[in-house]
Amino acid sequence: MPTPPIASVTRQLSRRSVFEALLHRSPISRADLAKVTSLSKQTMSEVIDAFEQQGLVRSVGRTSGNVGRTAVLYELSPDGGHVLGIDLGARRLTVALADIAGRVLAEADEPTDSRGGAWALDQIARLSDRLARDNHTHPSRIRSIVMATPGVVNPKSGAIEMAPNITGLDHLNVVGLLGEKLGSPVVLENDINLALLGEIWHGCAQNVDNVAFLALGSGVGLGLYVNGRLVRGENGAAGEIGYLPIGGDPLQAESRLQGCLEYQIGATGVVRRYREAGGSDVDSERQVFERAQSGDAIAACVVDETARLTALAAAAVIATVDPQLLVLGGSVGVRVDFADKVARALLQLSARPVEIRTSTLGRRAGVVGALSVALRRLHDEFFGVAELAARPLPPPTQRSARQ
Amino acid sequence: MTRETAYCFAADLGGTKLAAAIADARGGIVAELTEPTDPRGAAHVAEQIVACADKLAKTVGIEITRAHHVMVGIPGAIDPRTGRVSLIPNIAGLEDFDVLGFLRGRFGPDVAIENDVNLAMLGEHALGCASHCRNAAFLSLGTGAGLGLLIDDKLFRGARGSAGEIADLPIGRDPTSHPSASGTFELEVGSLAIVERYRRQGGAAAATVRDIFRLLEQGDEVAASVLDTTARWVAIAVVTLQSLLDLDLIVFGGSIGVRPELYERVRRALPALFSRPITIAPSQLGDRAGLIGAAWAAGQALRQNPEPALSPLTSRSG
Repeated sequence: MPTPPIASVTRQLSRRSVFEALLHRSPISRADLAKVTSLSKQTMSEVIDAFEQQGLVRSVGRTSGNVGRTAVLYELSPDGGHVLGIDLGARRLTVALADIAGRVLAEADEPTDSRGGAWALDQIARLSDRLARDNHTHPSRIRSIVMATPGVVNPKSGAIEMAPNITGLDHLNVVGLLGEKLGSPVVLENDINLALLGEIWHGCAQNVDNVAFLALGSGVGLGLYVNGRLVRGENGAAGEIGYLPIGGDPLQAESRLQGCLEYQIGATGVVRRYREAGGSDVDSERQVFERAQSGDAIAACVVDETARLTALAAAAVIATVDPQLLVLGGSVGVRVDFADKVARALLQLSARPVEIRTSTLGRRAGVVGALSVALRRLHDEFFGVAELAARPLPPPTQRSARQ
Repeated sequence: MTRETAYCFAADLGGTKLAAAIADARGGIVAELTEPTDPRGAAHVAEQIVACADKLAKTVGIEITRAHHVMVGIPGAIDPRTGRVSLIPNIAGLEDFDVLGFLRGRFGPDVAIENDVNLAMLGEHALGCASHCRNAAFLSLGTGAGLGLLIDDKLFRGARGSAGEIADLPIGRDPTSHPSASGTFELEVGSLAIVERYRRQGGAAAATVRDIFRLLEQGDEVAASVLDTTARWVAIAVVTLQSLLDLDLIVFGGSIGVRPELYERVRRALPALFSRPITIAPSQLGDRAGLIGAAWAAGQALRQNPEPALSPLTSRSG
C-alpha cells in the first residue's frame, strides 16, 4: 500500500524535531529526546534507528550515577555531513569547515591573490581542497557551501558587482565557475550581511530583533536585520552605504565611481586624506591608526574625522531604520578606541542615539555567518518539509532489509 | 436577525485638518469628511475624532457601533512596546495624552493608531502608485518631513517605532550647530525653512510656501533658486534612502512633496548624484493617501477578525 503523503510529512516533522533536539541538547538519551519532542517511544526508536543507519547520530556512552538501568546517550555524528564557509575579502581569504552540528573542524586563511578574478577563484578552490584534505574529509561529504563576498551578486550573470576592492569579478560567472571548481553548488551572499548573521549566531547580537551592522575596513558597508530577516532591497543593494552622500561632494567623479562616503573613509580614503594633510608615506590605513595612537597629530586628526563621518552615517541609519543595536565591525570598526570616538560623536550628531557594540567575532564574522547559512541550508535539505516530495533524504549508508 | 454589513472607521489626524471616513470590509470608503483640527489641543482633538465618527454614521445611516474596527493616523512616532506617541510638534499636548486609551474607551478594544505617513505608504501600496512594489517609501514633505517605509511588502516601523523619522537626517547644516541634533534635515526643507530661504535671498514678501510657488509661476527668479536649493537637499535625502534600502519606488507626498515644481527638480538632480537609476513618483492618492491607507488597514483588521469584541459602546447602546 502506498504511504499517504500526510504520514510522510508527519514523519519528516518528527525527524526535524528530533534533529533539532540533538542539535541543541546533545548528548541526550532516547527517553529524554522523547520527553523534549513529545514523540512516542516507538516513533523515537524508529527515528533514531534511521538516523544511525544514515550516519547522522552516534552513541557516546551511557548515563551514569543512578542505580538501575543506564541509558545510551546520543549526539549528532561528525560524519553526518559537512559544510564549508568561505569569506572572500579584498585582503584576506578565509575558509572554514564545520560538521552538521555546527562544530568548526578546521579554519585557514591567507592573503587574497591581489590579481583578483580567476586567480582569486583558483585560490579559493586550492585553500578549500587543502582544508578538506588535511581534515580527511572527502569533497563529496561537503554538502553545502556558502561564500561571503563584497558587493552585490547579479542573479542573472553570476558576477559580483559593486566590489571595487577586488578586481575582475564583475565580468566572471563567479557562481558557476566556483561551483565547478568545488564540485558542488555555491551560494554567494554579501559579506556584511553574513558578518551580521555571524554576530547574531555566535557574536554580540544574539537575541536582538533589530540590528544594524556597520562595517568599516577596506570599504564601508551596512547590514540590516529586522524581525528575523535580512533587508536586501529591490536589487540586493540595500546597505551599500559607501554611496551615502556624506563627507564629500557627491557630484565629484570619485564619489560616483567609488561612493562618496567610501571615497573618504574606506582604507584608501584614510590613507589619501593622511597624505593630503601632510602625513608621511604609509602603506595602509592601519598604520595611520597606529600613528594616531603614538602621538602623530596629523594621523589623530584623520582618525577623528573618520570617526565623525562614520557617526554621521550611523545617524542617517538611525533616523531611517531605527535599529535597537548598532554593531561596528570590519578591521577599522572593531578597534575599541575608534568605536569610542564614533559613540561620542554620535551623541552629538543623532537625536536618538542607540546602543553600540563592537563585533566580537572580528574578522571571523563573515566566515562564521557563511557557516551559519550553509548549516541552515543543509538542515533544510535534510529535514525541510516543503522539499519532501521533490527530494527524499539521500541515504549515505545502505538501507537495511527491515525497511 | 438579518446579517448586517460590517463597517470600519478611519481617521487621519493632521496639524491643520482632520479627515475621517467610514469604510466597508474591503477598506473602500463609503463616506468621508474633512474639517479643521480643533486648535485647543489633544483632549478636544480626540473628542473631535469621535464626533466625526458619529456624523459619518448618521450620513451612512448606521449605528456607529457597527464600525467594528478603527484606525487613526497620528502625526508622530508610536513606540510599539509602550504605545507611547512622540515627536508631535503640531498638536498641543498629544504627546502626553493617551490617545489610544481614550479611543478604546469610546470605540471599544479594536482600535489601532499608526503613524500617518506609514498609513499613506499603505494607501499607495494598496490602491495607489506603489501597488506593484515590495520595497518602497512614501516621502512626505510639507510643514515637516516624514517617511513611511515598506520593506518586503510590510510596513517597517523600527525598534522604537521611529523608523523613517527623516526630519533628523544629518543632511544640510552641521547637526551639532543646533540643540539636540534633531530636525537637521527639516531645517533645510520644512516649509518654514523654504520661506526663510526665500527671505534671505532677497525675495519679495512671501508669507507661505504657496506664495513662493505662485511667484515661481510668475517668473520670480529668487523663487526658482530657492526651489533649486530645496530640491538639491531633498535629492541628497533620496540618495541616502536609496543607498541604505535599495527601494523600488519613492513616492512624493505632502503639500510640498506633490508639487511638480519640486519633484521634477529632484528628479533632474538625481542622475548626477547616484550612478544607478532611482524611481520617484508623485503620490497618486494625494492628500487622501493617509485616510485611504487607514481605511484599508481598518478593513484588513475587520476581514481578519469580523466578530466585534465586546465594547463599552455596544454595552451602552445595548
